[in-house]
Amino acid sequence: MTPAKRFVRRLILGLLPLALLPVAAAHADQLDSVRKKGELVCGVLGTDEPNSFVDPKTRTIIGYEVDLCQAIAKRIGVKLTIKQLAVAARIPELQQGRVDLLAAALTHTREREAVIDFSLTTFVTGQRVMVRRDSGITQIAQLAGKKVVTVRGGTQEPNMRRAVPTVEVVTFETAPQALVALQQRKAVGFVNDEVSLLDAYGKLGPAQKDFVVLEQNISTEALALGLRKNEPAFKRIVDDTLRELEKRGEAERLFMQWYGPSSRLKYEKRHFRIETDKLPT
Amino acid sequence: MPFDVSIVLTGEFGRWMLQGFLLSIELTLITLALAFPLATVVALCRLSPNALLRGAGYAFVEGIRNVPLLVHFLFWYFGAPQLLPEGARNWLYEHDAEAVCAVVALTLYTAAFMAEDVRSGIRSIPAPQLEAARALGFGYLASMRLIVVPQAVRVTVPPLISQTLSLWKNTSIATVIGTAELMYQAQRVETASFRGAETFAATTLAYLVVSILITSIGELYQRRFPVRAT
Repeated sequence: MTPAKRFVRRLILGLLPLALLPVAAAHADQLDSVRKKGELVCGVLGTDEPNSFVDPKTRTIIGYEVDLCQAIAKRIGVKLTIKQLAVAARIPELQQGRVDLLAAALTHTREREAVIDFSLTTFVTGQRVMVRRDSGITQIAQLAGKKVVTVRGGTQEPNMRRAVPTVEVVTFETAPQALVALQQRKAVGFVNDEVSLLDAYGKLGPAQKDFVVLEQNISTEALALGLRKNEPAFKRIVDDTLRELEKRGEAERLFMQWYGPSSRLKYEKRHFRIETDKLPT
Repeated sequence: MPFDVSIVLTGEFGRWMLQGFLLSIELTLITLALAFPLATVVALCRLSPNALLRGAGYAFVEGIRNVPLLVHFLFWYFGAPQLLPEGARNWLYEHDAEAVCAVVALTLYTAAFMAEDVRSGIRSIPAPQLEAARALGFGYLASMRLIVVPQAVRVTVPPLISQTLSLWKNTSIATVIGTAELMYQAQRVETASFRGAETFAATTLAYLVVSILITSIGELYQRRFPVRAT
């Protein structure tokens, strides 16, 4: 056998394991299977205060999105299991059925509508940029040709590039890692959802004087729960639960608990209602 | 969605994948060029009659190869640069810090393993060979050049090629420090295209083609230059 032939044969043999790729199996109605299992598996980030984060006292994951999951699990009548996910793993984990529901600061986008379904919008936020004060940057446009950092697998990177096409973006597995890179002066800016960004800024303490959160938004994001496609019964119960929370004033109470004046974020009021699963046209 | 690899290999996605592939190749070649000379120096230290040099070589090899590569990457990116003097640190951060730190981590890690292969290659040539050469009237350098080194090379090259294969695969871990190599770009394509199976199939193929090319070079070398019986 010639070396070329041997190379080709080896390549083909090496590729054989790919044949083991899981084939998406058709499965029964998701709501039924959740009831049968007796648990609702909810995928969260766990590093995104106040949406989902580790409570230092109890070592469990708590937050606004966790409470939404809790309400849905209660409504279905099963126990809630929380699973922590990386930003980039959210949609694949949902598609492969390892979680039933995503409550992971997930932006509702038209591109994503092609692969998953979304619940009613549960939060509306902008994405903003925090820069080092000594960079002298005060406007988004001044980031042209500069390096910014953010988390991998979210809408932050594409939105940032859309806002400033020549910006250089470096991404990390988690938002806190990206923040460390900014603090170490490896970049001039850090992009994230407004809520997470203001929370991170709040945690900087005395170091706040070295950083500025730019006023301008790079985008407005409708966050929603992520569901597998074509599960109408499951989607109905999720949406009904959310609608009910809104009607009973519970949604308002949850917002105030996690985002209101007594929280770190100190929002005066809620600028959205949980009412639609459509993106504004 | 039907399985269609061309989606992730054409247009913008294809461009990202190609950029990642080229950076992975570049990381491998630069690391190889730096790690091999370093490994030779470390191996010579370990074989030196001087106890201090031997100790230093031992500390280098054991200190580095017993720590997971992921830890090396995080240390050389998030930890070590903070210890640099400010001028050097700023210079690093204004240049491609993600790639530079990846090369540092990979070079040290690869050199630790290669040093052991070089050392055992040299040790595999029995000392009487050198003595016999000297007895036949060759000078020391001529004995080394004509008798010892040519034999040692045949023993050392195959394991070094196998280390190169590890190095090629190890470049993928640089994704954790934001180095835009193949794995980093693949994750980016996957996020933007929602084509997980296609993206990782293409990525697997890319790694596999280069890996098997390296393995084949190793086999070809062994066929062409087999170890002589001593």
